[in-house]
Amino acid sequence: MSKVGTFLATSSVAVAAVMGASTGSIRDEVNPPIKLVGLEAHDSHAAASILGQFRTSASSWLFLHADLYLHNGVEMRPLTDDEIKRGRKGVGSNPNEQKLHDDAKIVTVVPSARDDFRGIFGDVERTTTSYKDMTGHSHNKPTDSLPLFRLMTLLDPQFVQGWTTGSYIMLWDKSEDGFHKALAFLQEGLKHNPKSIDILTEIAASYLKERNGARDFDSAIPYLRRARTVAAENFEHLSEEEREATLKNYRRLAVSLRELQLLGEERAVVIEGRKFFPEDIPLDRFWRVLNGEIVSDAEINPPSVIKLVPGGTKPASEIESKDAQQDSHQEEAPVRVKVRFI
Amino acid sequence: MNFPAYRALARCVVLESLRRKDLWVVAILGFVILLASSTLGFFGFKGLEIFAKDMAVTVLGMFSTIIAILTSCRLVPDEVKNRTLYPLLARPITRLDLLVGKLIGAVVVTWISFLMLAALTALALTIFHVKFELIMVQYLLAKMLGLVVVCGFSMAFSVYMTPSASATVAFLVAFGAPMVTRGLVLAAAGNPSLTPICKIINTVLPQTSLFDLGGRAVYLGWGLVPVWVMGFLFAYGLCYSGAMLFVSWLKFRRQAV
Repeated sequence: MSKVGTFLATSSVAVAAVMGASTGSIRDEVNPPIKLVGLEAHDSHAAASILGQFRTSASSWLFLHADLYLHNGVEMRPLTDDEIKRGRKGVGSNPNEQKLHDDAKIVTVVPSARDDFRGIFGDVERTTTSYKDMTGHSHNKPTDSLPLFRLMTLLDPQFVQGWTTGSYIMLWDKSEDGFHKALAFLQEGLKHNPKSIDILTEIAASYLKERNGARDFDSAIPYLRRARTVAAENFEHLSEEEREATLKNYRRLAVSLRELQLLGEERAVVIEGRKFFPEDIPLDRFWRVLNGEIVSDAEINPPSVIKLVPGGTKPASEIESKDAQQDSHQEEAPVRVKVRFI
Repeated sequence: MNFPAYRALARCVVLESLRRKDLWVVAILGFVILLASSTLGFFGFKGLEIFAKDMAVTVLGMFSTIIAILTSCRLVPDEVKNRTLYPLLARPITRLDLLVGKLIGAVVVTWISFLMLAALTALALTIFHVKFELIMVQYLLAKMLGLVVVCGFSMAFSVYMTPSASATVAFLVAFGAPMVTRGLVLAAAGNPSLTPICKIINTVLPQTSLFDLGGRAVYLGWGLVPVWVMGFLFAYGLCYSGAMLFVSWLKFRRQAV
C-alpha cells in the first residue's frame, strides 16, 4: 500500500474532521425540530443528508446497543410475521420485573438448539457467542445503559427518543434525586429540541408522577400548554409517534386543568383535541363530563382514579389499546367514568 | 511437506509486506483507534467501559479482516503479474508448496498486524482503566484462528479471479456469511423441506462468526469457552483453510504462467 494510500487515508480523516466540525450550522436542516413527513424530508442539502444519516445511524446504533446492555450481550430480535402466524412465542421476561419493553415477541438472534438445523456448528456458536436460554429472562439494571443515552444525545442532540427513553430510565430511580436528574436531562433535550412534543409531554409526565403523595399539576401545565401550541401549529406535519404524544398531551392537559378547576380552558382543549382526534373515547368522555352528561370519578376522588404510565414505550401503548377496548365495552355503562391517564 | 520451502516463502511474504509498508497502514489504523478512544474519553468514560470494549473488539475484528483479505488476495496474482513466479517455480518446489508457503506468509502478516492492533487497542483501553478478563486471551486466539480461514478463502478467490474481484467477493463472504447463516436458519425453520439445502449451503460457507468471542469478552459474567470448543475451532480452521488450499491448487496446478 503506497504513499498514495497513506495520503488518501490522512486526507479522508482530515475532511471528515472538517465536515464533522461544521455540522452544527446545518443541524436544523438535517434534523428539523418538527420532522416533516413526506417528500420534504429529503429535500435538504446533500451534505446535510449524508452527515445527518451518519449521526442518525450512530445514535440509532447506540440506541440498539442499550438493548444489548439490558440483556448482558445476548442479541435479541423480534419475531417475524411468519413466525407469529406459525404460533411461535417469544422468550418473555421475568414477571417480577417492571417491564421496560415488550419481550413477549422477541427471541434470541442465535437460535436455540431446538430451532437450529446446524448441529455442531450451532452448538459451537451457542458456546462462543454471548448466548443463553432467555426464557422468562431477567434484565440487567437499566441504569447501566444510561451512559449510552448520554453519549447518543451528545452525538445527536436531535435524537428525541434518546432524551425521552433516557429520562424514563432515570425515573426508575424512585428517589427525589432520580426525578431531578431525569428532569434536568429532559430540560437539556428541550434546549436542543424546543418544539419536540415528545419531550414536552415527558417533562409534564414527570411532574404528574406522584411524589410524596401529590402530583405537581401547576408545574406540568405550562409544558402541556406549550406542547399543545406546537402540535396545533404543526399538526399536518407530525409523525405518527408525535401524533400519539399529542393525543396523550390533550388528555393530560384536560385532566390537569380540571384538577385546577380551569374548566373554561379545559373546554377549549377538549374541543381542539376532538377536532384532531374525533374518534378518541377518553376525549369524548371529557366532553360529556364537561356538558354534564356523565359524572367523573375524578371529581369525587381524584388521586385514586388517575393512573400514570410513562409514554413512548410499548407497554404504554398496549395499556392504551386495552383501555380503549375496555372503554368501548363500557360504552353503555352509565354515570361513573374512570379516567386512565396515559 | 516441504517445510524449508514454506518457511522461505512465508519469509518472503513478510519481507514484501514490510517493503510495501503495509504495516504502516496498520500503524495508522492503530493511531485512528487511539484517536477515537481519546474522543470517547472527552465525553467521559464513566460507565462506558463495556461500550469501549465492544467498540474495541468490533474495530479490531473489522480491521484485521480487512488486512487479511487485502494481504491474501494479491499474493498469487502479483507473482504472475510481476513475472516473479518463474524464478520461484524454477526452484525445487511444487505449485502446491508455493500456495502453502504463500498462505502461511499471509497468515503471519495478518497475525502480526492483528497483534499490533490488539496491543494498541489494549493500550488505549488501559489508559481509561478498562479491566480485561481471561477470556480476552481466548478471544485473541480464536480470532487468530478465524483469520486463517479468511486468508484461506481470500487466496482461493484470487486464484480464480482478478485481485479486485477476489477482494470484493472475499469482503462479501467475510462480512455477509453470518447474515446468510441467520437467513438459512430462519428459512429452514419456516419451511422444513428446505433444511437439506440449507445444510449444504451452510457447510460450504465459512463459519467466521464462530471465531468471534467478542460478545463474551465484552460483557460481564460470561465464563471461559470450553477446551473442546477451542479444539473444534482449531480443527475447523485447519480443515477449511486446507480445503481452500486444495481448491486453489485445482486451478493453479494447470494455470498457464
